[in-house]
Amino acid sequence: MRNFIDYLIKNTSSIIYLFLITIALTQIFSRNYYQNSVFNLYFSDITNSFIDKKNNITSYLKLIEENKRLVRENIYLLEESINSNYLSLDSIQKDNFELIPAGIISNSIRFDKNFITLNAGDNDGVEIDDGIITKFGIIGIINKTSDKFSTGISLLNSEIKINAMVKKTNHFGSLFWDGLSHEKVKLTDIPKSANISKGDTIVSGGMSYIFPKNILIGVVDDYSIPESTNYYDITIRLFEDFGAIRNVFVIKNNSFDELKSLIENE
Amino acid sequence: MSNIYQLLFFRFLFLSLGQILIFNNFLIFGNNVNIYLIFVLVFPLNFNTSFSYIIVFLFGFILDFFSNSMGIITFTLLISILIKPYILKFIFGNFDINQVRKTSEYISKTSLFQKTSYLLIMFISHQLIVNFIDIFSSEKLKIIINKTLVSTIISIFFSYIILFIFFRKNER
Repeated sequence: MRNFIDYLIKNTSSIIYLFLITIALTQIFSRNYYQNSVFNLYFSDITNSFIDKKNNITSYLKLIEENKRLVRENIYLLEESINSNYLSLDSIQKDNFELIPAGIISNSIRFDKNFITLNAGDNDGVEIDDGIITKFGIIGIINKTSDKFSTGISLLNSEIKINAMVKKTNHFGSLFWDGLSHEKVKLTDIPKSANISKGDTIVSGGMSYIFPKNILIGVVDDYSIPESTNYYDITIRLFEDFGAIRNVFVIKNNSFDELKSLIENE
Repeated sequence: MSNIYQLLFFRFLFLSLGQILIFNNFLIFGNNVNIYLIFVLVFPLNFNTSFSYIIVFLFGFILDFFSNSMGIITFTLLISILIKPYILKFIFGNFDINQVRKTSEYISKTSLFQKTSYLLIMFISHQLIVNFIDIFSSEKLKIIINKTLVSTIISIFFSYIILFIFFRKNER
């Protein structure tokens, strides 16, 4: 016993090191989709309120940029009301989808697996698996919630795959990020017969519980058909600038549980 | 001794705030500038080992929460502080850690080549681990190496400027 205690005293630093590195590793592994770390949430409440205050100050400095965004959004809304062939937010609500406004308090774009923190949580009705969108595109999916805050997996996370389709031809495929540029994502599984051309609009496909059909994503920037396949490899330029988003909507499917239980019972 | 603690405290504050408030907010060639590694680079050499691990852990922990990186920075900083003495020995020759109070006393007489390779090896190893853990896929090896090289060069550039301006006098 005495030897053991001596050994512990001698190697305190190694033991502390192992202990700390284990905590760090646990943190890394808790990045998995459904993992809900209590410790993480408890600590994030404190840091998030701090970041929220910091953002109050910095958002003031970014007013010019924000104004430009609003103008862009206004132009878009005007065009939309003229053409009125785009599914409006009202009709999304009619279709069982509910929108909750939220502000982004922290967002990363530099990693391969990026996450977003929002200042809306359980109290506002945000739940795990709700979608995050803006007028210009899909942003991500909620994966953790606390009372006042929630975190989401960003579209710029190589683990996420989203159903998307070519608006012109209705061919659908899966959309994912390859980790290279925060302005571009990849779309695969679109068959040769789709006749893609540069500038085609890509929208959400609607074949999921999370996002309704026809939410904007981006335009075709580049495409190729790899040898020995019959499917396109498409690069999409996103409409939304992920480095400059400040306000988003959490989109909630009110029949999510019903749909899920139906699928699971089959 | 209280002087060392004060110095560490100010470095802690200065580097974490600098990283969170300034360098986390922009990308160069799609890569972030990581100046926080300076904290480990100039960490006092003859400091209590256990205590140094704890301080570096806290430093990484705070950066992690404000950069949305969930443990990656903490983990890699802990690795960096562990390998730092070996890299110092490798580049600047053998020395007795307990004899050297300031890193600067030791480094001042060495060539620019040695100083740069110290920065280079520390940053490359750090960025490599960060990108490897983040991407965690052998298929994307090319992306990992590409990202590591670009972010290493950018980070070294900015870190060198910061080291030159703020840390020249009291390197320990």
